[in-house]
Amino acid sequence: MIEIKNVTKYFRVGFFGTRKNAVEDLSLDIDGGKVTGFFGPNGAGKSTTIKMIVGLIKASKGSIKINGYDSFDYRARLKLGYLPENPSFPRGLKGIEIINYYAKLLNKKINKNEIYDALKLAGIFYAKNTQAHKYSKGMTQRLALAVSIIGDPEILIFDEPLSGLDPIGRKEFKDIIFKLKERKKTIFFSSHVLADSKELCDRIAVLVNGRLIKNENLENIEKEAAAYAEEKKEERLSGEYNTPLEVYLYDLMLKNRKN
Amino acid sequence: MKNILYGIMYSFKEIKNSKIFYSFLIFALILISGSYFVSQTSFISQGRIMVDFSIFAISIFNIFIGIFIGASVVYDDIEKKSIFLSITRPVKRTEYLTGRFLGLAAAIIFSTVIMMFIFYFVLLIMHKFIVPVVPNAGAAVSGAKSVHNVHSNNVNLQNNSASYAASGHPFTFYTLPQPLIIQGLFIIIESVFISAAALLFSLVTSKALASIFAILIFFIGNVSSRMNDLVKPVKKIIDGKVVIVHQANHILASIVRFIYTVLPNFSIFNISSEAAYKVNVSSGMILYRAAYGICYTTLLFIIASIIFSKKDIS
Ligand SMILES: Nc1ncnc2c1ncn2[C@@H]1O[C@H](COP(=O)(O)OP(=O)(O)OP(=O)(O)O)[C@@H](O)[C@H]1O
Ligand SMILES: [Mg+2]
Repeated sequence: MIEIKNVTKYFRVGFFGTRKNAVEDLSLDIDGGKVTGFFGPNGAGKSTTIKMIVGLIKASKGSIKINGYDSFDYRARLKLGYLPENPSFPRGLKGIEIINYYAKLLNKKINKNEIYDALKLAGIFYAKNTQAHKYSKGMTQRLALAVSIIGDPEILIFDEPLSGLDPIGRKEFKDIIFKLKERKKTIFFSSHVLADSKELCDRIAVLVNGRLIKNENLENIEKEAAAYAEEKKEERLSGEYNTPLEVYLYDLMLKNRKN
Repeated sequence: MKNILYGIMYSFKEIKNSKIFYSFLIFALILISGSYFVSQTSFISQGRIMVDFSIFAISIFNIFIGIFIGASVVYDDIEKKSIFLSITRPVKRTEYLTGRFLGLAAAIIFSTVIMMFIFYFVLLIMHKFIVPVVPNAGAAVSGAKSVHNVHSNNVNLQNNSASYAASGHPFTFYTLPQPLIIQGLFIIIESVFISAAALLFSLVTSKALASIFAILIFFIGNVSSRMNDLVKPVKKIIDGKVVIVHQANHILASIVRFIYTVLPNFSIFNISSEAAYKVNVSSGMILYRAAYGICYTTLLFIIASIIFSKKDIS
């Protein structure tokens, strides 16, 4: 489905344009029909990786292919839906106008009912006639979600989909992911919330400091976590992280972090 | 193709709803209507003052729209991240950019046409400067009319309508003089041109710098031909020989000539003197200047889209 091969991305920072690696030598295959969770601390390079996949930024080295097309080719995005982190929309246009426009940019005919269904699924139908810049953060997030699922794409890439949602919204969003999962969509989402991992994912990838340090099935990683908990014997299952998997992922990130 | 069209419509709608656009539009309309009061300060040639003043207002506000919206139409989209959802659809980046740019061009055309119409109505009310549409008088109108005459087999009609118009018959249709209409067209071309420059700059620098650069380019482009005339050697014929009596510094002269040749020349789009004296401009000149503007704009746009197609958007 999505093949990421030896991808490095550096940004030029400062006056002299010195290179700063955001992602280093990342190789990752995202399988079709599975939910892959992409975890890592702030600044790990998750959003950078996602932006490379959806063709917003170009990898400095290596290649990214989606269904055989290079990620900068528009055909790579024929069946792709993307939910950016902190989405935003132009001022002055109503929710319905915005989604109509994005629906038209797809290479197929989308009828009105499909648009309404997407809006209803994302729970923003009631505000479709309000100008989008008057939306709250969570409402904007919902509209962006509606935009990303319109046209029934095969691949869904969500960058921190749960941030900014209220408890009801989080539950609804997870239900949407379950629904999409049942329909064998390929889902790749990034998150900070370790508790999301077990519920949603088939596979877990962990990125720290731009390096992929884990890419495993849920079962395998749970086994590792259990073994780790056994070894540590330390009573840590309290407070913020209260399952072996969460503690394991947390320690993994902490250990590999440089600063 | 379809994507570009939707992009144009979307951008146009977005720009039309933007505060900067309609504040410029409203301000220009106020100035145009106010040109009446300005003209009252003079006893002579009030119509000419109104024309000068209004054409200045129309062109400066459209150029402002071109520069400020041109510098922000893509820049803000990137800055506010609303671009993320559009270019991750199955569209080419060039299509997106074309949509944005032509949407802005449509907005410029829209505002110029509105301003010209208001200007026309002001002139109509004042009954100044407008010319009656007399069949057979203008070359463009006569073609259509003569067909009509042939069909109706009424030869007398031509003479009648001419005298009707002259005597201020209520059904006389008045239009703007040709140079004013051409000036309107040139304002559109000029504003779209400068907006392409602003768009290009906004892809490589910040919005503020892009606007400043575009204003500079516009300013230099307006004075460069005059500068070039100034540094040309002054020649005189003395005793049958051409003698150079004054020669500007060589380096200065070549710098000016370089600027004059490379940077766009905006002064050719200003035909306000022809407009003020109702001197018709030749179709060759219109064609040449329009082609100059359109070709240069296309070139700037192509450079912009090459830069844009490689740009990291984050
Ligand atoms: N446009 C840019 N220019 C320079 N550096 C950048 C740019 N975008 C990202 N970076 C750097 O790349 C690194 C990775 O950023 P990224 O946004 O991918 O992190 P992230 O994993 O998504 O973090 P978060 O969890 O906070 O969203 C950071 O160190 C960031 O400073
Ligand atoms: Mg991020």
